[in-house]
Amino acid sequence: MTAVNDREQLAYIASQAADARVNLELEAEGMTLNIGPQHPATHGTLRIVLELDGEQVIKADPVMGYMHRGYEKLVEVRTYPQVTTLINRIDWLSGFANEVPFILAAEKLMEIEAPERAKHIRTLLFEMSRIANVTLFLGDMAVQLGAVSPVFYAFRDREYVLNQIEAVTGGRFHPNFDRIGGLKDDLPAGWIEDTKVAIQKIYDFCDEMEDLLVGNEIFQARTRGIGIIPADVALSYGLSGANARASGIDWDLRRDSDVGQGGGLAYDKVDFKVWTHPDGDSFARYWVRLQETREACSIVEQLLDTIPSGPIMAKVPRIIKVAEGEAYVATENPLGEMGYYVISQGGLEPFRVKIRSASFSNMSITPWLLQGTYVPDVITILASLYFILGDIDR
Amino acid sequence: MPKVPGLIKGLSVTFGEIVKTVTKGADTVQYPHVKEVPVPRARGVIALHEENCTSCMLCSRECPDWCIYIEGHKTLAPPRRAGGKPRSVNKLDRFDIDYGLCMYCGICVEVCPFEALFWTPEFEYSEPKIADLLHDKERLGEWMETVPEFEPYEGGSEAKVKKVPRP
Repeated sequence: MTAVNDREQLAYIASQAADARVNLELEAEGMTLNIGPQHPATHGTLRIVLELDGEQVIKADPVMGYMHRGYEKLVEVRTYPQVTTLINRIDWLSGFANEVPFILAAEKLMEIEAPERAKHIRTLLFEMSRIANVTLFLGDMAVQLGAVSPVFYAFRDREYVLNQIEAVTGGRFHPNFDRIGGLKDDLPAGWIEDTKVAIQKIYDFCDEMEDLLVGNEIFQARTRGIGIIPADVALSYGLSGANARASGIDWDLRRDSDVGQGGGLAYDKVDFKVWTHPDGDSFARYWVRLQETREACSIVEQLLDTIPSGPIMAKVPRIIKVAEGEAYVATENPLGEMGYYVISQGGLEPFRVKIRSASFSNMSITPWLLQGTYVPDVITILASLYFILGDIDR
Repeated sequence: MPKVPGLIKGLSVTFGEIVKTVTKGADTVQYPHVKEVPVPRARGVIALHEENCTSCMLCSRECPDWCIYIEGHKTLAPPRRAGGKPRSVNKLDRFDIDYGLCMYCGICVEVCPFEALFWTPEFEYSEPKIADLLHDKERLGEWMETVPEFEPYEGGSEAKVKKVPRP
């Protein structure tokens, strides 16, 4: 373990090596290694061009856009109710969480407030989609390190939550359930009891992952001290979500924004802790997400017990025309801060929608982060940053 | 108490899972032989109740990728009461849904003002060619049999449970 863990020192050595080569005017540059576009470690199509000096990365250059689907443009020719079907597919592991900020932005422009019951169920499904998303990461991270069994447990236990989402929305991945002014439908009978059983299984899964991976010596050796992001760098690159919290930044939009605290989502009704970790390495990012999954389970349990009765839909005109204006609403999605900047000109369709997706900012740090690391650690770092390619390219 | 090495602890988890799978059975099923029953709300395929359709084109217009094709014409139906005027009704000539394009969002079912469209959890309609996924109104009508009854709602709800029209 004499390998230098300090990232800055490694970067310095790498830059010295690069300078030395330039000085000697050697024609042989470092080897170029393409990771992707089709690579199992990238959950989609991301290409990373690495310049290597032996095993060490001199320069990393992410190439994005292989999965660009042009959603920002497509939503300009679709009415507001139609938009939610498209934006389901941005971060495909947590479809419902993508709809919420857009709907909230439209509600803000129309000055409509959803009824309490709708807000409550919305928060409930939001947290369940977070569990469905992060559960997969908890197993997937191990696969990138070469341990195969955790991902099977992750896929199996995620299915319990997806079944519950399907039971109420009708779709496992693309719920399309959120509407301007409320929700499409109410909960079916018996759903609350079934969900409590499913949530217990996720608690068990978290304990299993803790025994299987967090205490494991190999896992710790592969992740501790790898890919350290200091808090100031994380802030300057615009990291959000669990990646920022793993660097010690105590920032969570569920707690720190008006939207989370009653203005659209009902996080003011529940007690929860925002987990942070001071280290900022790959292990910290895994640990923070593990704790967050447990926290999400506890939020879901608290919400299940306190669903208020009442209608689920506010009074909304049958043909939805959004008033002229601009609104930006961001929520704490499973991957980080996701926001929609909606410009309306009073018509049936939005004039322009800018999507601020978390993965795009989270992965923009990779050139800085990968510099000076070793090739086997590249996959660890990419996996621990946890981006969904649909969320990067949109 | 000496600390248990993480490797041993992890192996015990894996072993526990093997025992659980062998004794309690796996969570997966062998698909063609054993079928999982989807939940009643599952969006499998859209069924058409032809008598209710007035070819008003609302579903076709609201579809996000415009995959519903409707054609119709007006005809005269016999009067309801003896001696009355003949009524003018819309007759549906063509109602096709292209499932190669459909995004399964359910907007058409939601906007239908006459309750002619229903979701069914039926999912076994794959085709070798994508062009064969264009289903006409006869095929969509056959799926009406598989539409499940709407579930009752959870306590505290004010929504009304709808009824499925049966022939």
